[in-house]
Amino acid sequence: MASRREFLQVGIAALALPISAHAALSPAADAPEKTAPVTPLYKVVYDERFPASVAFGTEARRLGLPTHSIRGDITDLWFHDLDAQWKKKPAAVAGLTAQGALFCLERLAWDHGMRVVFRGDHQYLPASSIGHILTGPESVVHQAASLQNEGDDWAPRVANLVARIPEGQSTPAKVTIHGRATAPADAEAEDLISWVIAPVAGARILRKA
Amino acid sequence: MRVPPGVSSEDFSTALQQFEEAVGKEWVFTSDEDVAMYRDAYSPFWGEPDELVASAAVAPDNVEEVQKVVRIANTYKIPIYPVSTGKNLGYGGSAPVFSGSVVLDLKRMNRILEVDEKNAYALVEPGVSYFDLYRYIQEKGLNLWLDVPDPGWGSPVGNSLDRGGGYLMAQYRNHFDSHCGMEVVLPNGELLRTGMGAMPGAKTWQQYKTGFGPWIDGIFSQSNFGVVTKMGFWLMPQPDAYLSGTVYVPRHDDLIPLVEIMTNLENTRVTNGMPDLGSPLLSIPMISEIAKWNQGEGPPPPDAELSALLAKSEGGGSPELEQYALKKGISYWSCKLSFYGPEKTNSANWEFAREKFSTIPGAKFEENESYKLPLTPEQREKVHLPQFGIPSLAMFSIGARSPVNPQPTNGHMWFSPIIPRTGEAIFEANRVFAAAAKEFGLPVLSFSLPSCYWERAFIFIFAFPVTHDVETNKKNRAAFKKVVQRAAEHGWGEYRTAPAYQDMIMGTYAYNNHALLRFHETLKDAVDPNGILSAGRYGIWPKHLREGAKT
Repeated sequence: MASRREFLQVGIAALALPISAHAALSPAADAPEKTAPVTPLYKVVYDERFPASVAFGTEARRLGLPTHSIRGDITDLWFHDLDAQWKKKPAAVAGLTAQGALFCLERLAWDHGMRVVFRGDHQYLPASSIGHILTGPESVVHQAASLQNEGDDWAPRVANLVARIPEGQSTPAKVTIHGRATAPADAEAEDLISWVIAPVAGARILRKA
Repeated sequence: MRVPPGVSSEDFSTALQQFEEAVGKEWVFTSDEDVAMYRDAYSPFWGEPDELVASAAVAPDNVEEVQKVVRIANTYKIPIYPVSTGKNLGYGGSAPVFSGSVVLDLKRMNRILEVDEKNAYALVEPGVSYFDLYRYIQEKGLNLWLDVPDPGWGSPVGNSLDRGGGYLMAQYRNHFDSHCGMEVVLPNGELLRTGMGAMPGAKTWQQYKTGFGPWIDGIFSQSNFGVVTKMGFWLMPQPDAYLSGTVYVPRHDDLIPLVEIMTNLENTRVTNGMPDLGSPLLSIPMISEIAKWNQGEGPPPPDAELSALLAKSEGGGSPELEQYALKKGISYWSCKLSFYGPEKTNSANWEFAREKFSTIPGAKFEENESYKLPLTPEQREKVHLPQFGIPSLAMFSIGARSPVNPQPTNGHMWFSPIIPRTGEAIFEANRVFAAAAKEFGLPVLSFSLPSCYWERAFIFIFAFPVTHDVETNKKNRAAFKKVVQRAAEHGWGEYRTAPAYQDMIMGTYAYNNHALLRFHETLKDAVDPNGILSAGRYGIWPKHLREGAKT
């Protein structure tokens, strides 16, 4: 991928061990983790400029999650919503956006004791293919195998993944999956990133109401 | 856990314990995960051994705690590095200049201490962000505007101390110039107030800048002589209305009278917003147009003929290019003027400006935006928010891959030379930097226009990409240094830079055998004999690190 920033995750950056795609796609790995409660999402963010992101937002709504649309810029979302919410109480947010939105929200969230706990880089590749590089809780990334077969409908599947991030500590994992997908037109051909930013135990909180 | 250079593990451990006693255990950060938050996201040394990193961080809540931390640091000779909100991306972020320093994180000091609507000023702590102050003003319904940088998530204190700028009237645009009064914790822990604040019970700390005797505020900007814990700022009373108009001129050399008239109109206050140059022919958007262009609302791509002419032209000009522009009716240059004030005077000033620019043959005019203020929500959707004193993060939408940014990088470092405010200087700078780019193996440099407009000077801002590839970063760092040197040979110095280049750029300010730096060092040795505060910031190293022991 041409544009990919490293990211910091408490307990993940230091511990993440690459796992093979074979292991990730094995049937055993597909078994969902049944015991851990799921991280409640305060908002799911999607970017109206990108069809995949819109599909992601639509699926999040179908799953009953509160959504917020942006057009690249997160200023209004943060200023009119998240800033006040996070000062009261940190709350998890998820999204499928371009890099800029994640870059801003991640840094703003750091001061509220939150970190990126799941990240998926989705890059359109030549020959109508797409690469998904997912890092996050093992129980979730191991459920990503079907991305291989989703074709152009990969984004709703990703919405289902981010809706299942377990609360609290979890074993980190990384997986790379290749699927078939048609790249959008040039004007929309931006690499998208799925992400979940969530409160992390013990992380510093510097900004409060 | 990393230990600061020159400090024993025992001393560091004792100092950290005392920091905890001073500010509370939960406000001293030593875990790798927490300390990683202070990495410079745009470090040109990303992932290399020379990357500048912190050893720990401490976050005091008030000035008394800052004093305690500074005194402890002095006792154990711990290097500390104050940051306000740490958002100075492109110029170092919150990573210390002296690697291994303890970051003194002032984000918790986020009190808005006073906002006076009638006299239009504010007094704030360093952890107050532009968004915080904007929210306060909005919630109180005050008729005041902030001059904000773009992006606007930093702090007024931090941005002005690094001499950032914005977009409003000239007296607010240069953020350090618009400050009035400071409170500073000196490196020995003593508290000092500048200007009128030096008088106990002063009634005009934020209203009269210089006080009595030497005006020392400047030594606390881009420096390491104290920790600024309060700072006053003059705010702009909300104007009645806003008007903008654009002047278009047809020929290459028209840039010279265009800039001359523009400058005269601003310095006589006929126009009072930041001027904004662009080039329809060269597809250079005016700053206020960048976001729209990035969303695909710019002009169509150059046709084959224009592309060929642009490829052949050096320095953005050739007779053929000008003929093409004239033939196609495409203006060579544009200049947007902004007017803040009563509607009637805005219109009269725009009319006067048009008269002045009409002396350039072929000049055309377009009236753009005319708003009664404050803006309506619908109007806010259309404008470049910082030009209306509204902080924004929209700039980060530009960083990703898009039609005008096909190969985004992991960050950038700004090369920001100051050049004279003339059209001739713009042409000369482009010639010099285009030739330098070719000579140093950099990508071909397109014609550039200034990014910031001070009253008497321009700032050019070129982004050098930062990647996560070590070899590419090495090449870019070497090229950066060469371009800085080439600029200095032409008398153009940087106004601000990332830590990696602060020594070498300070080295270009070399008049009379570096008399300025030697004076800085004399001050440093006097006020910070242990050299604990922001060692190396802007090239000023304490004595014990000056003799080649900066590791």
